[in-house]
Amino acid sequence: MAKIKQFLDEIMLLDLFAGLGITFRHLWKKKVTIQYPEERMEPAHRFRGMFRLDEDRCIKCTLCAVDCPIDIIYIDWHQEVNPETEKKEKLLDRFDIDVQRCMFCGLCEEACPTNPKSIWLTTKTYELATYERWQNLYVDMDELQQWRVRPEYTDKEIA
Amino acid sequence: MTDPNTPATTPETLLGLEEMVLNFGPQHPATHGVLRLKVRLDGERIVDTYPIIGYLHRGTEKLFELHPFFQNVPHTDRMDYVAAATSNLAYVGAVERLTGIVVPPRARWIRTLLAELQRIASHLLWLATHAIDIGAMTPFFYTFRERELILDLFEEYCGARLTLNCMRPGGQPYDLTVGWAERCAEFIEDFPSRIDDYEGLLTENRIWKKRTIGVGVLPPDVAISYGVTGPMLRGSGIGWDLRKAMPYEAYDEVDFDVPVFHNCDTYDRYLVRMEEMRQSTRIVAQCLDKLPEGPIMAKRPRVLKAPKQSEVYYGIEGPKGEIGFYIVGDGTPNPFRCRVRPPSFFNLQVLPGMVHGQLVADLVAVIGTTDIVLGEVDR
Amino acid sequence: MPRFLEAIEDVVGSTLFYYAVSPLLKIAAALFVVLTLIAYLTLAERKILGFIQVRLGPNRVGPWGLFQPIADVAKLLVKEDIVPQHAIKWAFVLGPCLVVGPALVILAVIPFGPSADVTGGMGWHIADVNVALLFVLAVATIGVYGIILGGWGSNSKFSMLGGLRSAAQMISYEVPQGLSLVVPLMMAGTMSLNGIVEAQHDQHIWYVFNYYGIGLAAFFVYFVAGVAETNRNPFDLPEAESELVAGFHTEYSGMRFALFFLGEYANMIVISAVAVTLFIGGWLPPFANQSWAGFLSLSFLPAGLAGFIWFFVKLLAFLFVYIWFRGTFPRYRFDQLMALGWKWLLPMALAAIMLTGLVKVL
Repeated sequence: MAKIKQFLDEIMLLDLFAGLGITFRHLWKKKVTIQYPEERMEPAHRFRGMFRLDEDRCIKCTLCAVDCPIDIIYIDWHQEVNPETEKKEKLLDRFDIDVQRCMFCGLCEEACPTNPKSIWLTTKTYELATYERWQNLYVDMDELQQWRVRPEYTDKEIA
Repeated sequence: MTDPNTPATTPETLLGLEEMVLNFGPQHPATHGVLRLKVRLDGERIVDTYPIIGYLHRGTEKLFELHPFFQNVPHTDRMDYVAAATSNLAYVGAVERLTGIVVPPRARWIRTLLAELQRIASHLLWLATHAIDIGAMTPFFYTFRERELILDLFEEYCGARLTLNCMRPGGQPYDLTVGWAERCAEFIEDFPSRIDDYEGLLTENRIWKKRTIGVGVLPPDVAISYGVTGPMLRGSGIGWDLRKAMPYEAYDEVDFDVPVFHNCDTYDRYLVRMEEMRQSTRIVAQCLDKLPEGPIMAKRPRVLKAPKQSEVYYGIEGPKGEIGFYIVGDGTPNPFRCRVRPPSFFNLQVLPGMVHGQLVADLVAVIGTTDIVLGEVDR
Repeated sequence: MPRFLEAIEDVVGSTLFYYAVSPLLKIAAALFVVLTLIAYLTLAERKILGFIQVRLGPNRVGPWGLFQPIADVAKLLVKEDIVPQHAIKWAFVLGPCLVVGPALVILAVIPFGPSADVTGGMGWHIADVNVALLFVLAVATIGVYGIILGGWGSNSKFSMLGGLRSAAQMISYEVPQGLSLVVPLMMAGTMSLNGIVEAQHDQHIWYVFNYYGIGLAAFFVYFVAGVAETNRNPFDLPEAESELVAGFHTEYSGMRFALFFLGEYANMIVISAVAVTLFIGGWLPPFANQSWAGFLSLSFLPAGLAGFIWFFVKLLAFLFVYIWFRGTFPRYRFDQLMALGWKWLLPMALAAIMLTGLVKVL
């Protein structure tokens, strides 16, 4: 009986018609195309995009530079006496990140000890293309502070 | 096998019936990366194949030696860029065994969950490229639609879609977000019907069967002698799966089957991977149910140091086979030597034997079924 | 007949009109319609394939991508025309022409609508040859020359191999194709394509349903052979991208490449048109002999336009099926392809002929 059915299957090309049926069904399904640039997919909360530095919070511990797997964070600081508070404090001379080589792994963000963190990657920015090659190779301190701030940066996202 | 560059002085050459050498070059739509094959053809039959690799070599193993243990995790993503979570898992597992850290249970379960999701994603990409090489162009789009959903889940969890960096020696850096488990459960519920779609398009299709049955036969003894692992081995009748043989993370506490088929050809390897996707769905559903509460990172020192003159080899069952790390520690925070056992490298070795005597059109099918990722082969 | 045509007839004289002016007008109209159809067929293929693959096709150039073919043609026209240095120039140039030409020539005998005695005016065909079926088969075979010349003229190892493979495929599928066409010939008793459609009208059945499934078998053989003739999926190994030999059109660029593609789509249209004429009733509306279906004959439209519309609708259905096949099936390997043609389709066609003869005798 099964052999007869198998023979009929082969003659009547049922396997081919099943495949045709599946593709026909998909003609009527909702299409998954997202019409960029009119529509844009919003990345997730933790998406590791372009980073942002908050100089005020930064304590210049350079842990981020130490932790970077490719050593692309360059930090220079010096100590100065603040005339107002009469205390020694660190001032940031240079905080450059070589975006040419950054792999957006997020280890610098993990290493930062301040709370909330002073460097973070969750700016949800991934449109970093430029027309000239040199334009965002070396991102310096001021540029780092201007990337879009992510709405609520909290730790309260645990299930 | 001999290098086809050496000229042969056989009667055929003297008569002018020599074979043609074809360069299946590094840039080609079907070679899944920068694989170069020098193929010696006799008319339409393949006499010999000589793979030339190294076009994607980036010195990853040297890079491992330059940085401390936990900073090397992003480098492991980029070896098998299709299945980054399992490479991460192999590396952090090896480091934990080297330094003696015990991972908390919740982290172990989350790792199992991520590894199985990654296995599904990797098999989806395999199906897409294999089908499109054989000529069926629609499964590519259907499988990528599902893969996008998985990658969305990963993006929510760890922030990246492809180069995940989602595990650390000692546990997990992030916990699951609010609603992640629900979204994952939604995906898992839908997914078996999608696999039915792909199977309806391909499994019983007579054209597919004609292209894949009897093509690329890998006898089991040859497979074992070359060190082939993963679905290639299980398609040849040997039921060796590291998740069952040497359970790691939470695999001894979940219930699943390992598909084994015995015909040793491309069709059977296709069936193995399709069934593995279904079994991974089962595992993910169980992980979501049984996830325990607790901490996700073990107590570990800020700077991880391996004991002097210590070594460890740790292998796990990745989607392509056994991926293993052999790490030698020397008392400093950096590994002294980190050698990777890439499954695609070992699986690629049997390619010439599998295509010997077959037609040129089968070469594409066999490369597809070997499921190689050049990032792993070349590192 | 429309007034302006009567005016032209008065000016030119009736013999010149019927033998020169009228055919020229019809040729112009047919070419215009078919060439536009080919251009929009490329868009339809991309859109329908996209929809099958749950994505939108081109939709940026004009609403729903309707100006995409214009953009494609413009792009191909301004591309540099590269002729390889050691190419055999005359073969290289003649190749594409010999692929497109025969396809368009076959259009001359296909009845797009009712003939003159049914409409009482001009017939909806360019020429009513009484050996039209033989004409179709003969002209279609010339297309193989185009492929061979194109592959050989490119003077490249792979193009030549691809061209020869494609030519072998086309020739070997012409045999079952031709044999399957004998079945409606026997059922109708005439070789004229007009006559076959009239016979379907007189016998009140479309030949695909005729003789308890023999017509269906012949139609199936014809259509599968037709898909293989045009090098379409699942028989498109000679031109597939992921195979080693990229086919006979590797060395072509710009407008010549466009001509090859035009030829492929023109062949698709012609094979579908012949299938519609012979098996699916040509310009006849469905259920023509049932009284309740009188409205389907659209008789409110003038002079056989209804017939043309039905023909067009059936043609579009066939083209959709071509595109549907491309989106669904993997491709056959070359030896399996040849085996299918010679070992399965040819015996099926021969059996259909013999059974038709049997049924006719009984």
